[in-house]
Amino acid sequence: MSARRDRRDRRLSRGVQIGFLLGLIALWYFGTAVWGINQILLPNPINVWHELEDVIRSGEFLPDLQVTLTEVAVAFVLSCTSGVTLGYLISRSHYSIRVFEPLLAGAYSVPIILFLPLYVLFFGLGPWSKIALGTTISFFPIALNTIAGFGYVDRIFITAARSMGASDFQMFRYVLLPAALPVILTGLRIGFTVALLSILGSETIASLAGLGHRIVHLAEAMETPRMFAYIAFAVVIAALLNTVVTSLEQRARRR
Amino acid sequence: MSSQGRIEPVGVAAPRIQPAPGPRRSTMAALRRHPAIARLMVLAALFLLWELAARWWIDPDFLSPPSQVLASLGELFETQGVPAALQITLWELAVAFAISVVIGLAVGLTVGLSRFSNRSFMPIILLLYGTPQITILPLFILYFGIGSASKIAFGVSHGVFPIIVTIVAGVQNIKPILMTAAHSMGASRWQIFRWVIFPHMIPSFFAGMRLGMTGVLLGVLLAELYVSTAGIGYFTTLFTQNFDPTKLLGLVSVLAAMAIALNETVRRAEVYFGRWRTD
Amino acid sequence: MTTSDVAIRIAEVSHEFGEPGDAFHVRALADTSLDIVRGELLCLIGPSGCGKSTLLNMIGGLLLPTAGSVEVGSQPVRAPLPREIAFVFQENALFPWCSVLENVKLGMTFQGVPKGEHEERARRSLEAVGLKDFMKHYPAQLSGGMRQRAALARALSLQTAILLMDEPFGALDEQTRMILGEDLSVLLSRSDKTIVFVTHSLGEAVFLADRVAVFSARPGTIKEIISVDEPHPRNPNFVTTEKFGRLRNTLYGLLHDEIRKAVEQSAMAGPLS
Repeated sequence: MSARRDRRDRRLSRGVQIGFLLGLIALWYFGTAVWGINQILLPNPINVWHELEDVIRSGEFLPDLQVTLTEVAVAFVLSCTSGVTLGYLISRSHYSIRVFEPLLAGAYSVPIILFLPLYVLFFGLGPWSKIALGTTISFFPIALNTIAGFGYVDRIFITAARSMGASDFQMFRYVLLPAALPVILTGLRIGFTVALLSILGSETIASLAGLGHRIVHLAEAMETPRMFAYIAFAVVIAALLNTVVTSLEQRARRR
Repeated sequence: MSSQGRIEPVGVAAPRIQPAPGPRRSTMAALRRHPAIARLMVLAALFLLWELAARWWIDPDFLSPPSQVLASLGELFETQGVPAALQITLWELAVAFAISVVIGLAVGLTVGLSRFSNRSFMPIILLLYGTPQITILPLFILYFGIGSASKIAFGVSHGVFPIIVTIVAGVQNIKPILMTAAHSMGASRWQIFRWVIFPHMIPSFFAGMRLGMTGVLLGVLLAELYVSTAGIGYFTTLFTQNFDPTKLLGLVSVLAAMAIALNETVRRAEVYFGRWRTD
Repeated sequence: MTTSDVAIRIAEVSHEFGEPGDAFHVRALADTSLDIVRGELLCLIGPSGCGKSTLLNMIGGLLLPTAGSVEVGSQPVRAPLPREIAFVFQENALFPWCSVLENVKLGMTFQGVPKGEHEERARRSLEAVGLKDFMKHYPAQLSGGMRQRAALARALSLQTAILLMDEPFGALDEQTRMILGEDLSVLLSRSDKTIVFVTHSLGEAVFLADRVAVFSARPGTIKEIISVDEPHPRNPNFVTTEKFGRLRNTLYGLLHDEIRKAVEQSAMAGPLS
């Protein structure tokens, strides 16, 4: 395809995307303002915007945001330390990889959200049941990626280092760790994302505080415009956190 | 890796290395050859730990030993409404999966086969795929009610995106050399689709279905746990509030087993249909 | 030759992978003996699977023979000897997360060279292989030939008496091999290292080696040892001389049947072996 046609096509695609999004927003506005869709089902976007401004200006979101972020942070720290440690230990021999990796992969394939009622029974409706669930779910990608990172270091690097007289510690510090790091960092990123999602999810289902809970609370109170505002807020926060984590990962990998 | 740098010392004229005979060596050798046995042993050890912890260390209001859970499975199934709830859940999963596959295939092929559609719509699809859908679960309930419809819808919403993305990738990732070869042999556009693109895409389709199944499971179960009048969500809430860990563990185990069975089925299909792949 | 001239003594070495009855049991080497003279460049050449790389790994202490022994300097080899033996591998064994200079310095860290000497030694060996302007580059930014030069520099900087090279130019194209071979010959003429060089290429073996050990098909054993009486550094024109042609033809005659045999062996093993 010639360069000019390519550029024109790209602009056309861009146009379709913008048109699509604008069309959706227009539909939304007209649907609520002009065609009279029930405000409780679909609030006027202008109202949603006002509610959002109010939420942000009044700082009402702070306590819920704090709860959610704290839960995510604690869960992530717990799953990181346990996941990387266990992953490293398992990766030390091919045999233990063959034994444990399928077990971990199998456990991860179960929808772990099912454990939430168990954790609620055990920890109550407070933050610890969310933290427990977040830790459990994000443990697996971190551990599995750590195993993949350390366990599948190209043999030639290990052989070469051995032939040059590397000690066990030198092998770890100068060969295994740098070789494994990119894969491990990806695992950490996935773990973070998954922890965030599962904590938001468990807040939605069974909680007394946090962003997910706030959305549910507003839904039950039929305060739909404000609920939409909080949904938008939560989506933006999630996107922001994911962008930060992804760029951190890429920055560390580029070395 | 733990034996780097150290080779067992041997005499100058090294004799052939033979394994020492004896029962201990042969069990170790058997374990080495079949990691599956070691895995079973690990699982058994974990179950034992669970059993002991529940019996001796943890308040019975919070945790039940596996033996008790197993024993009361019969009672669980006789509880009014539980079998029906399980059936409903299975039905919701099946319908959500079927719808996801149909929509996913249709959208995936449309977007994948046309470079223009790909460029236009793929970013939108990826954007939707990446948003935390859990935040709009209450909206789904608002729009579809508290019955099965919302569960199915939420399941479809989770399952359809991986299918679309993998199908698009499967169509786009065909090595150009394959298309060139077909072209050079005089194939028409339809023939290229039927004999090159379509078969190439099938493994991706099954991979997508595997991911789609995971998504559908997640969506349906999330929706069920959120609000449910007669589904499993109702019973998990009931058992939790009544501090009945035995029944709760039983129910969760049954659901987990169901999820594993479904995932495994789709995974095997993927392996079977992807036999020609080298990656 | 006197015992002090022998750098590496290989005595009736055999090697098997796995136990008889295992699915992957293979007799790689059978009763191989060889004396490698100090300061010579000896090539090991043979068909695929004949055990030449296995033998090289045994000389370097990366593998223990199932029978027989390898001695370096009258001491049996039981583990890598980083101070006496350095390797250059076929695949890219340069660490991709280090620059070329860092790679060379890391080798010295492993060997135990005092930190103060690293910079100077690394620069010297990188200049010797022609990579003076590429020291800060990463392996991914270099061509295959340059990467192998860097691997060679890393091995040279370790200043060992013995250098083991396992098809170092195997992944490179013919022209790069030619140039690297000529440069290698020049480099090595200036030192008195003992070098064991494994290759598939007949021309490369005749061009580089003082002696060529020809292996039979699996289970490998040394069929014959050919001498190439030609001073180092080898003139690039050596390749065009009648002597070169004669030696190359001799190698061809010795190897052709073995290669056929090896191909049949791998075909018998079946698909995906």
